[in-house]
Parts: sequence; C-alpha cells; structure tokens
Amino acid sequence: MAAIAALFSGRRGGDLGLGGILALGTAVVAALYFISAPLLTLVLSSFRGPEDMLPFEDAAVWTLGHFSEVYTNPVLYKEIIPQTFVFAFGAVTFSFIIAFTLAWLVERTDIPGRNFIFTLILFPLLVPTLMLGIAWVFMFGPNAGWINQGIRFIFGVEAGGGPFNIFSMGGLIMTQGAALVPFVFLLLTAALRSMNPSLEEASAASGASPITTFFRVTIPILRPGILAPLILAFLIAMEQFELPLIIGLPARINVFAIRIFFELSPDTDLPVYGRAAALALPFLGIGILLLLAYNHMIKRADSFVTVTGKGYRPERFKLGKWKWPSLIFVGVFLSFAAILPALVLLWTSLFGFNAPSLAALSNISFTPYIELFQEVRFYRAVGNTFVVAGGSAVIVTLIGAMLAWILVRTKMPGRSILDFISFFSIGIPSVIAGLAAMLLYLSTPIGVYGTVWVLILAYSYRFAVTTRLNRAGLMQLHKELEEASYAAGGTWLTTVRRIVLPLMGPSIMASMVLLFIIGFREFTIPLILMSEDNMVLSVILWRLFENLELSKAAAVGVLIIIFVIPIIFLMRQFLLPKTE
Amino acid sequence: MLSVKGLTKTYETPEGPAHAVKGIDFEVGEGEFYTLLGPSGCGKTTTLRCIAGLEKPNDGEISIDGVIVAKPSDNLFAPTHHRNIGMVFQSYAIWPHLDVFNNVGYPLQVRKPRPPKAEINDLVMNALEQVGMADFAKRPATKISGGQQQRVALARALVRRPQLLLLDEPLSNLDAKLREQMRIELEEMVAKIAITTLYVTHDQSEALSMSDRVAVMSDGLIVQEDEPRAIYGKPVNEFVASFLGTANIINGTVAERTGDDKGVVIIDDDVGQLNVILSNGLAAGDALQIVVRPEDIHATTEQPADQSNILMGVVDLLNYQGGYAECFVHVGAIRVRCIVHQSLRAKPGDKIWLSVDPQHCVIFSGNT
Repeated sequence: MAAIAALFSGRRGGDLGLGGILALGTAVVAALYFISAPLLTLVLSSFRGPEDMLPFEDAAVWTLGHFSEVYTNPVLYKEIIPQTFVFAFGAVTFSFIIAFTLAWLVERTDIPGRNFIFTLILFPLLVPTLMLGIAWVFMFGPNAGWINQGIRFIFGVEAGGGPFNIFSMGGLIMTQGAALVPFVFLLLTAALRSMNPSLEEASAASGASPITTFFRVTIPILRPGILAPLILAFLIAMEQFELPLIIGLPARINVFAIRIFFELSPDTDLPVYGRAAALALPFLGIGILLLLAYNHMIKRADSFVTVTGKGYRPERFKLGKWKWPSLIFVGVFLSFAAILPALVLLWTSLFGFNAPSLAALSNISFTPYIELFQEVRFYRAVGNTFVVAGGSAVIVTLIGAMLAWILVRTKMPGRSILDFISFFSIGIPSVIAGLAAMLLYLSTPIGVYGTVWVLILAYSYRFAVTTRLNRAGLMQLHKELEEASYAAGGTWLTTVRRIVLPLMGPSIMASMVLLFIIGFREFTIPLILMSEDNMVLSVILWRLFENLELSKAAAVGVLIIIFVIPIIFLMRQFLLPKTE
Repeated sequence: MLSVKGLTKTYETPEGPAHAVKGIDFEVGEGEFYTLLGPSGCGKTTTLRCIAGLEKPNDGEISIDGVIVAKPSDNLFAPTHHRNIGMVFQSYAIWPHLDVFNNVGYPLQVRKPRPPKAEINDLVMNALEQVGMADFAKRPATKISGGQQQRVALARALVRRPQLLLLDEPLSNLDAKLREQMRIELEEMVAKIAITTLYVTHDQSEALSMSDRVAVMSDGLIVQEDEPRAIYGKPVNEFVASFLGTANIINGTVAERTGDDKGVVIIDDDVGQLNVILSNGLAAGDALQIVVRPEDIHATTEQPADQSNILMGVVDLLNYQGGYAECFVHVGAIRVRCIVHQSLRAKPGDKIWLSVDPQHCVIFSGNT
C-alpha cells in the first residue's frame, strides 16, 4: 500500500486517503488488465503449437511454426497486404471527399436544415455496419438489387445483371467509405470549429478575396487538423471486418481482418489459434506507428489553435445559386447512407425481398416480426445487447475518468506510459480484441467463456476516447476548485464525489453515450466469442442473413433502428456541439 | 474621411432580434484618432466590424474617403477585401502556418497585380523595423510572445498603407505592464504615420490618453462624443461620469438661485449645502445630481477659515497608495471618496474638512 501511495506522491494539496488510493489503484490495474492481458495472451499464443491444440493445453509446446507458415505464404504478399491497403486507402479517400464537403456545408454555409442534416449524417455511426451492409446488398446486389432493377427498368433492359455490382473492390470501397463518413465528418467539424474565425477575417482585411483566403489561410491552417483524422480513419478502415465479410468475401477480396477470422473459423478444419495470433501481430505494430503519427499531428494541430477572441462566429457563406446543387449532394448521400437503407429494410421485413411495386402491397405480412417475438433467443439477444453495451460503457467510463484524473492531476511516475497504453486501445481492431479475449478466457478456468460476461470483459478495452474526453473536461476545471474542497476539510473521495464528478458530468455522460453506441453496434467481438447464450442483435442479424432468412433479418434491422432512435436524442443532448 | 450615418445592426437570435447598434452617426477626420469607448455589449465592436465589412449593417450608410462602402437601402455593400483598410484583431489573428515575414507580407502578396518580390521585401522589412520586429522575420508565428504577436499584427495592418486603420481592443490580451508599454508605442507609431484610426476599447485610460476624440457608447447608441478632456470634465450623464474614472454622485435639491448661473444646493438628508454652477432651467425645489471627481475635492484636517463650500466629515478609511492616498469620508449620511496628498495624516474617526470648487461640480437634473 505504501508503494502505491508513493506512486501518487508529488501531488500538491490533499492526501488521497486509503479510499482514494484503492480507487485509483484499482482503476490503473483494471485498465492495464483489460488492455494488456488479452494482448499478452495473444503474443504468447502465437508461439504455441501444434496447431490442432489450444495454446495453453498441457501438451502444447513453444514453436515458431506459426510465423514461418504465415509469413512464407505468398497469399499474404500477393493478396492480403495489397488488398487491405487498396481497400483502406480507397475508402478513406472516398469518405474524406464526402465528409469534408458535408462538414464545410454544415459548419460554414447557410444551407437550410443544418441540425437535421447533422443528425442524419450520423446515422451510419449508430447502427451496426453489418446492418447497413445488408441493406446495401439489397440495394445494389447485381441481379436483384433495387437500384439495379430500377435502372434496368428505366432503360428497358430485360435480362442480365448490373449495372452496379456491389461485390467488387469498387463496391467495397464505396460502401466502406460511406460507412466511415460520420466519423470523419465529426472530426472535421471539430477542426473547423476550433479555428479562430479572425484568422480568415484578417485575410479579408488584408485585401484577399474569399477564394484566396480559402486556399492560403483556411486550408493550410486546417491541414494538421485534417490529416490527423485521416490517419485515424485509415487505421480504422484497415481493420474493418463487417463490410469485407458481407461484401468483400463474395468478391474474393481478402483483407487481413477476414483472414484472421477464417483462421479461427475455417470451413473445414479446426481453428488455428496460433496462426491467427501470428498474423495479427504485425497489424498491431502498424497500428502503433499510425497512432504515433496521429499524436504528432494532433500536437501540431493544437499549436495552431491560437488565442481566441470574443467568439464571433464568422458570417456563414451564402450559397446563393449553389444552394440547390448542395442540397442535392447532401440528399443523395443521405439517401444512400441512411434513408434508403432504412426503407429497404422496412419494405423487406414486411413484403419480402422483391423490388417495390403496387402489386406487392397486398402481400403485406407481419410473419417475420411475429416469429421473432416468439423466439426466446431473440429476447435474450435484445437483453444481451443492452446489458453488454451498458455494462462495458459504465466500466470503461469510470476507469477512464480515473485515468484522466491521474494523468491531469498527479505526477505519478509512468503516467505517460499509462496514457499511451490507454490511447493505444483505439488501435486494437475488433477482430484482434475478440481473438485475444477468446485466447485469454479459453485458457483461464474462471467459467466466463460463452457467457455475456466474457463479452463485457472483451468490450471493455476502449479507454482511448473516454480518457481523452474526460481529460479535456478535467483540464477545463481549475485545480483550485478541488483544492478549495480540501481546504474546506473534504477528503479526496468526498472531493471526487461532491466536486469533481458533478463538474465532469457532461464529459462523463458524453463518453458513456459514445461507448454505449460503440457497444450497441459491435458485431465482430460477439461473433468471435459467440455461444448459444451470449448472442447479441447484430449476431442474430448475421445468422439470419447467412441462412437467407432475409425478411426476418430485415425485421431485426428495423428493430435495431427503432432502438437507436432514443439514442439519437441522448446523443444530441450530450455529445453534439449545438449548431446555431 | 470616415463617415457613418444612421448605422443599424440587428442580429436574429433564437430569443428574437437583438439590436446591437441602433442608428449611430459619426465622422472621423483625415488623420484623426477616434475612439469608440463603452462596456462590453454596447455595440462598439459591431460598429467597427460593419466598417471593416465583416458584418453587414441593416440600415444606414458607411463611406470611407468619400466612397460609399455600405448602404443597405441601395443594396450597396463592398466586401472586406475591397476596402482599403488595415485591421488589428483582439486575438491578433496571426496565422500559425506562416512565419513573421509572410504574415506581414501577406497583404502585399495577395494584391493584384502582385508587386515585385524586391518591393514586397522592402516594404515588409520596413514595416517590421517600425515595430521593432525586423530580427524576427524568419521566426514561425507560433514561436513569438503575445506582445510580439501584437507588433506583427500592427505591421501587417500598416504594410499596405491603408486609408483607415481599425483597432479592435488590441491591448486587451496583454498583461498590465506590457499593455502600458504597447499603448505608448502604438500611440507614437500612429501619430508618426498620421493615419486615420478608429480604435475600439472598454478601457477609459486608453481612450483618454490616445484619442483626439472619444465617443462613449452604451446600449447601441453614442451617448457622448467629444475630446477626452471634455468627456472627462463635463460628462453628459451619470453613466459617462462613472464609466470614465471614479465619481462621487451626490443627490440634492436646489435651494435658491443666487445669480445668473449660480445657485445653492441642499444635499439630501441634511448633509449640508454646496454652491454650484447651475445649468439653465433649474429652479428652486428641483432635484439634481452633483458629480464630483475624487481628485477635485480638497481635504484638510484643520478647520479652514473660509466657510464657503465646506463640508465637515469623519474619516472612515485612509488608503495609502504611495504618491497619494485615497480617503473615504463620512459626511452625514453620504460617503465621499477623495484623493489627498500622501503627506496628509489622518486616521479613522478623525474630523476632516472637504472643499470643492463650484467649477468642478457637474450638475445633472433629476435624481434617483
């Protein structure tokens, strides 16, 4: 205990007390455990064989066999690496072009309905990407896709498929790009907002035209704030699993997340844990490199945020004759990313999988819903989804808030390492997190494997966002507010409970809502750790789709959207900056 | 040189329209240093931003050097980059991606046609020399201090020799000592190049020390416009009197008129009498306010022989300030603040006699 107490020494003001030391110590240990234990198991497993055994079975031995097998296989160099790169690069480029245009329109112009547009743009961020993928397959499937049928009908082409084939690299890039738009959009609007408007006004006052100002002032100042989100988006695209599974796989596109998954769930053989682990390691390394680059960029971006003035918002750019083209651009994107997917799922759940027509209207059937509501498995999945998302959101937020406090308010040695480990969690792909949790809890005889608990444990590693959010919140709280409580005789725990937590309320709520959303839409981890007892909605959705029970799959999608609607209001309340 | 007529600016807010500027008029002559002074929210910055073209006025007319730059009734509006101005922002707005040289050179680089490189170089270095920043030309903008940013911002505003210099609270982000120094530098610089200047501030000492003329604004209107001495010495109402420096405000009633412009006032609550100079129209029985500056009150600890315009009081507190002392005195029910020489020795409870020259009593009719 004295050792832990010594760790937190060097802090001025009040003594932590036993309660404080216990609370903070638990937070540090828990954070380290949630992130490092699965990853260590992963690293160790990659050296354990032979391949038909669990890594830590008694008969298993140390081996380099997995590495030699994985890294001598030409498929890795001919397919997986180049295809992963093309996919990630394409998706990020596509999503950046759309997201930047949208961010600029919403933040800087007088486009009507900004709040409404802002909310709808975020739709893909709220639902499982898998659900969007299914809707897009319904829309752009080469033969039966609605849009393809519609176009063929308009041009009077009777037979054949096309013109769009979603099952292609192009289709995969476009859909993944669209799915990434909300994420990139949020980061770009933040960058646009953090820019001091007088920087542009000073350019106008120097005699520069709006175009000159845009290229010589706006863009260069935003550049670090733009590049940083792009690095993050690239990292996230690289580790995507859902769309590569549903769209990439039929097109024989082999990205790394898919490859890892199929080492674990091969069609014929037994799972090869060690090989999956060996394949995962270099991608973690790339993740670390990208995150270091991101950190570097963000520091530069922060140094660009200069003294802010009185908070005059710049006058919004008058779109004038560009109003309608802009609205059409926004409308096309929103139809593609939010409105049509919702409609196609609703239609399919009620009328079966065929293109809309008046004749079909008489065949309305609620059977898929009735069947769903008669299945215990479905109820359990709804319960599991909320329990797992909510439970991990609470755990991660509490630990993250305490980490943030340690980082901001103490001089604990090693806190920069703690900061990096917590931040690094953002670079752990779901596939790897799922795999690592599987290896860890298969090998530990504590009986959580196959239950919802293993999901809560496996989900609870994403400390990056909550630590950063709470850290930003804490930095705005003057230290003297806490010191005043110590001076009034409050202990550390009292101070945290009565002063710090209430004042950090907004950032804590924000991270709670955000983590709940992330947990709610998670698909990869519960798929890898799936058992009869711990299925969540997204996994049920996948199983139905895989079994070609399309109407029922669509019905699950519709129910997910209905669940998401209250979340949208929570999010508007706690997460989004108010647009005026 | 700068002419503003009937300028009106209204913002639409969710709580209804907010009237920031409610129809103001003023003229600034060639080479004049003109200050808009007022508390935050009085409309001074909005006025400046309308002149810069950063806000569109709803009504009125603005012309710079005889050219109308904004006249909503004729749908006339010249955007900021078509106005020949130089502006220093409150936050300085130094571009973080450019070095000092390019920050200052920018107004020339974007001019059409672009001047030759050598000419830009000369003009920029000349401007940087004027503000004492020539040695920092190659320094990245993120690596200079607040005071240096301020100088760079000024050099950038002056480098293209604009017709009109607009300064939006340029000193408010500096700490007290630096502010004093920069104020003097700014004053000397502007006087040297004799540029027409519009200065916006909430700091009365900046306004009084730098300006040729000051307009005091409140709630979207100009309350008083005059030379600094006149504004300070003859404020038109209580707001101006108390916004510029400290003022004792004494409520009373006219007892009698004793001459053309003289009269005797009985201070409320039987505190005493004062001889003052009465403005026309005030007659016996009218209520009024007397404004007296603390430094215009003469205080002694011995009863003076001359009894006219003397009030006797009791010292509440003597605040030693170094060269002078601030003395709070109880006179009956009212409390008076006066500035006394540091040699005056008095302690709380001592009797003290205050006298004031009728010339230094400013009278407003009516009281509150």
